[in-house]
Amino acid sequence: MIATKQEHKFNALLIELAHKGVMLLLVFFIASAVIFTAVNLVPGDPVSLRLKNPDPERVAAIRAELGLDEPLINQYFHYITSFVRGNWGDSLITGQTVREEIGEYFPATLELALLALFLGVILGLGAAFSAQWFKSGLWRNTALGLGALGLTVPIFWLGFLFIVVGSLWLGWFPSGGRFDFTLPIPQGSGFLIFDSLAAGRLDMLRVTFQHLALPVCCLSLYPAALVCGVLQARFSDPRLHTLLRALRAKGLSESRIWLIHILRLLGAAVITVVGTNFGALLGGAVLTESVFSWPGMGRYLVEAVLNRDLFVVENGLLLIILLAYLIISTADLLAFLSNPTVRRHSDSAS
Amino acid sequence: MSVIIAAASQIFMLTGCSRIDESGKTPDTFVFARGSDAQKLDPADIDDGESVNTLAQICEGLVRFKSGTLDIQPWLARSYTISKDGLTYTFELREGVRFHDGTPLNAETALFTFERQLDTTHPAHFLKASFQYWKNLFQEIKTVRATGPMTIEFKLSEPNASILYSLATFPAWLISPLAFESHGEAIVRRPIGTGPYRFVDWKPNQAIILEKNQDYWGSEAGFERLVMRTIPDNTVRLLELKAGKIHALDGLQPAELAELFDNKQFTIHAQPGMNVGYMAFSNYAARLRSPAIRHAIAMAIDRKAIVDLALDGFAIVAEYPIPPGFLGEPDNSQPPIVHDPDAARKILNEHPDLLKRPIELHTFTAPRPYFPDPLKIASLIRNDLENVNLKVEIITRDFKSHLVAARRGNFELALLGWSGDNGDPDNFLATFFASWAAVEDSATNISFYKNKAMDNLLIAGRQQTDINQRQKTYEQALVIWARDLPLIPLIHTEQIVVTRSEVTGFQLQRTANLFFGPVGWQSL
Repeated sequence: MIATKQEHKFNALLIELAHKGVMLLLVFFIASAVIFTAVNLVPGDPVSLRLKNPDPERVAAIRAELGLDEPLINQYFHYITSFVRGNWGDSLITGQTVREEIGEYFPATLELALLALFLGVILGLGAAFSAQWFKSGLWRNTALGLGALGLTVPIFWLGFLFIVVGSLWLGWFPSGGRFDFTLPIPQGSGFLIFDSLAAGRLDMLRVTFQHLALPVCCLSLYPAALVCGVLQARFSDPRLHTLLRALRAKGLSESRIWLIHILRLLGAAVITVVGTNFGALLGGAVLTESVFSWPGMGRYLVEAVLNRDLFVVENGLLLIILLAYLIISTADLLAFLSNPTVRRHSDSAS
Repeated sequence: MSVIIAAASQIFMLTGCSRIDESGKTPDTFVFARGSDAQKLDPADIDDGESVNTLAQICEGLVRFKSGTLDIQPWLARSYTISKDGLTYTFELREGVRFHDGTPLNAETALFTFERQLDTTHPAHFLKASFQYWKNLFQEIKTVRATGPMTIEFKLSEPNASILYSLATFPAWLISPLAFESHGEAIVRRPIGTGPYRFVDWKPNQAIILEKNQDYWGSEAGFERLVMRTIPDNTVRLLELKAGKIHALDGLQPAELAELFDNKQFTIHAQPGMNVGYMAFSNYAARLRSPAIRHAIAMAIDRKAIVDLALDGFAIVAEYPIPPGFLGEPDNSQPPIVHDPDAARKILNEHPDLLKRPIELHTFTAPRPYFPDPLKIASLIRNDLENVNLKVEIITRDFKSHLVAARRGNFELALLGWSGDNGDPDNFLATFFASWAAVEDSATNISFYKNKAMDNLLIAGRQQTDINQRQKTYEQALVIWARDLPLIPLIHTEQIVVTRSEVTGFQLQRTANLFFGPVGWQSL
């Protein structure tokens, strides 16, 4: 009996995976087509717009060199095939390959976003559970305050506040940047925590965390507020109270009830809300990056759009979209695995 | 957003600005911060200030502008001679100069910089590089060759009086040929010149790190290291200066400087830049083609108010479409445009067709050196024009989209500007008024103004070598401009750099280049 149940779950997982795979292809084609169309609909030629005093002949030669004089359908085909092959062309502005540049900026954003997410979930869980546990007004207000802070206060304002307090008043943290240029910069993956650990340099690690502290705290408030909000909504659900009463009637200890049964039940909701909002987190990262002089993808892409940096926009945006989709899908799968009642409709009949 | 942040900074700064490193010692590292990063570090293929100002520490030219002036001074060349017919320029190179990679400076190594721009088959004539300045400023150079071990000679196809000035600008700064041989196209990110600082590392969007060139032929640089940081947010950049973590910055808006005025810890360096912000009439806008109407519109605009309200006084009214003090500026004190709304109203009342629909004034969002706040300037102009009974619709776009419309002449009125390159009037007047600069999609003459007499004067001015003759020629060109008024010059903005007061030896340049080589430190 148990074997068939596991088998059933395994089959459901396979169907889920296949579904996600097909969706990934669909997202790839639709997103690439939309990006390509948008890039080409914008009036003006990115090559001559880069120049203060363009020379038409030279502009035509550069366009030919870049393949921009070919028919659009060929260009689109070239775009998607070279994207898949990882050959993303050069930035029109800096002349560096887009791959190298993304290799430089992407780890910065991911390091920031993942740490912020991690801290945010912990903060959100902590606030929501404290409010529920210690029924006092103080904790309840803390949770409410966190929600208000994370969802309504603009990040640039918050970031500025953090700088004034953490950097200017206390002097504990630098106001921005990723690293201190008086130390040699750890080389390798581009994830500075990992690289400084790999180099075995604790001083580098300390500097890395010092630089991460303010932007991570600033960016973590948004996921913290989300998690806290979702949990509080669940806590006020009458069905949860029925369940609580039932569990208590079974004679389970309070901590066991909360940390094992309820957390597991709510885990799926938390994972889903965090996963589906990862895109918004990256959106917030743009502002965070700007305030904290953080050399990340958000700022890079926004500048590329403003500068009409063709290949950066085409490949960088597509990469981010696919990544967001992958993260949302992973969150879905995790939610699916953590709570078997989250099922796809096609599956619900059995 | 910046207003809110600035307000917050006022509140929080009161108690916050005491902690500064006051040990009195000269720091090892001089840190300069700006709002954006350099784009490329290839002198032949850049036009943004951040790239130029980075290279200004690393590379040098045969000649340069004497600090703070537009006078030419021999630099990597010990001396130069110009032939009588103005067609041959000969430079005698300085002995004992080495590039940062050890390559000695001689005729052969100096040629590389020019040959790669001149010769389209040269291996360092990169296919994706624009070489736009070579086409604009150096177009008369026909050949360049070594005539001795330390002598190079430029032959011109026809005389061009501004070529010597152009040779002082960044596209003509020398880079090492050996660097190209060993790094190939990567030299656009690892410049190797002869300057007081040498390139060490570049962390994009964070910092460019330079160190002292121990073998520098001139006076030794003041610091062991020079770091040029990118801090995009203006308020954060200012906070870093106050916290003593950076020693100098640029890119602040005039309004943001107010709190620094009475602070003895900081020195504000400001001087009118070599730029002009203007409003153009498109020649394609038929109802604004009459010079009388254009003059009336010009008279309606209160440019002094723009200086005071949009730039907090950090600019001067532009009387002519060339910066003040330029060759060609007339001596007489009668300005060609005066503010007289009553006279303007009288003229405009005779043209009721102008009122049928609002006049489109095109502007853009992001600040440029010549217009730190283009939206505010546009709304001040709208007020002035509404004051003379015209209706104005402001059309705002991002800068690049604005540029697309401007380079097609696709507007009625448009705000734009120009930052000068070589200090020569040709660089402004031919840019604005030459018919050959009115090519759709690449026009710098966005008015699409075409006038044979103007063209002839511009060609003559370029070919004349006698300075008095050129003065007359450009004066005549300005008379034609003032008659037809294809554009109204509005302001010359000031370049603003703030340094800590301990910083010595810093001087603003007319070209807006920042040179940190002579900068030192003197405790207060």
